Amino acid sequence: MAAVIRTSGLTKNYGGTVGLTGLDLEVTAGTVFGCLGPNGAGKTTLLRLLVGLLHPSQGRAEVLGIDVAHDPDEVHRRVGYLPGDFRAYPDLTGEEYLRFLGDLRGGVDAATVEELAERLKLDLSRRIGALSHGNRQKVGIVQAFMHDPPVLILDEPTSGLDPLMQREFLELVRGARADDRTILLSSHILTEVEAVADVVGILRQGRMVTVDSVEDLKARALRRIDLTFGHEPPMAVLAATPGVRELRADGRRAHLVVVGSTADLVAALAPYRVEDLVSHDADLEEIFLAHYAEEG
Amino acid sequence: MSVHVYRKTLRDQRRAVVGWGAAVALLVLLMAALWPSVRDIFDADLLAAYPEPFQRLFDLEAMATGAGFLNAELFSIILPGMFIAYGVGRGARLIAGEEQDGVLEVVVVTPLSRTRLLLEKATGLATGIVGLDAVLLVVTVVGSIVIDMAIPIGHAAVGAVAMVLIGVQHGWLALAVGAATGRRTLAVAAASAVAVAGYALHVIGALVEAVAPWQPLSPFTQAIDAGPVSGTVPVGFAWLAITALMVVAAAIPLFTRRDLVTA
Repeated sequence: MAAVIRTSGLTKNYGGTVGLTGLDLEVTAGTVFGCLGPNGAGKTTLLRLLVGLLHPSQGRAEVLGIDVAHDPDEVHRRVGYLPGDFRAYPDLTGEEYLRFLGDLRGGVDAATVEELAERLKLDLSRRIGALSHGNRQKVGIVQAFMHDPPVLILDEPTSGLDPLMQREFLELVRGARADDRTILLSSHILTEVEAVADVVGILRQGRMVTVDSVEDLKARALRRIDLTFGHEPPMAVLAATPGVRELRADGRRAHLVVVGSTADLVAALAPYRVEDLVSHDADLEEIFLAHYAEEG
Repeated sequence: MSVHVYRKTLRDQRRAVVGWGAAVALLVLLMAALWPSVRDIFDADLLAAYPEPFQRLFDLEAMATGAGFLNAELFSIILPGMFIAYGVGRGARLIAGEEQDGVLEVVVVTPLSRTRLLLEKATGLATGIVGLDAVLLVVTVVGSIVIDMAIPIGHAAVGAVAMVLIGVQHGWLALAVGAATGRRTLAVAAASAVAVAGYALHVIGALVEAVAPWQPLSPFTQAIDAGPVSGTVPVGFAWLAITALMVVAAAIPLFTRRDLVTA
């Protein structure tokens, strides 16, 4: 399948510091690509390079076969972009603002805008300056989707949205994928990317340290689990269970880390009286740790 | 051709033009109201009391006429200063200000090219200044009629054009520096420094003979040396227009090739 987004040796230096180093990336049509990484890893730099807001120090970026640095306006025509820190003219209402941007795109179907606003429960008649952070973010999402672009580039799109709206947003992304559109979104929240992405790339210190399917990534993820037993923890059994690491006892409680699936652990616990089980979501840092542990 | 950014630039100036227009109108009418009493006290003896270079600089001899009075009192520093301040403040905001506020990012990621964005904003700013200038022209003409200052409309128009040119030139400079750097403070500082330097050259050129040959380089000299409320359209006007256009043209490649700053 043809790559919709392709970068080769894409590098961005800011003065002395490195934003992104030698990135080779291919995102195929109809894919949701989740770009994960802690703050400062280079996610925003990558996304801003892809829409031509930044110019590469080396290498190149192509969207739909168009060199971004060479013909940014043609790329802009085909892309919906949501910046990481979306800001809009505070004196305009949502409706005025979206009409202005739509006009710059040669006109946008008003029905599409209305439908998007309705799905996100966004009141377009209010001044943007009077909106809450979450509602402003919704304006940003609407402007990215409203012209039905074949490519969507979204930087931390769910920032400021309440859980209900986050779910609605993920539905929007799934709908776009169903229409064979290509979406690249960045996040520092694994569960969000997990919920919607087909492929995940992890950036760290300006380098893409891994690109993998969500399934493979989850299989490698570390999960911290606290177990409380009705008796002494069966430490020998736990230690012998595949995938269990960093095991330690604390009275009737056992703390451990599981790599990948927890199925073996749950099976091993069946004969015992487990009074409480707390599982901490694998956070990014833990996935990185897993990744580096494997490398090491 | 649709000019949505131009229209937005105009829309954004509505209130400012009204506010600044009111200030300009008040100032001109106030000065015009003073004119009859000045005319009555201004005689040859008072004139002779001033040193000759000052007479030249402030064109004191001409104070005996309505046009000369307005030139000396308003068109030589206060009005150019106001038009420059308006142009620079707005010009710096249009690109650098919006960029630093973070609102430009999404606008740039539309099919509208950065060149077009800059040109539409430049044209919008110039139109706003012309709007402010229209207020000045109307009030000058009306004031002249009411107070009997005997200023021909054509002469008032030349004075008004001088204010547009000096305002647009400095405003476009601020816009261009802002577009080239993305820094609003720098845009204001650079354009203000040019304005102060230009005024200093204009004044020192009138007082110090050694500097006099350089005086025509000053935008102030180019704009107001002939009056500016007068029957002659000076060559300086062309220089003001040409340098203003050159500054914007120079900013285009710098703006299109640079990274946009984040808010």
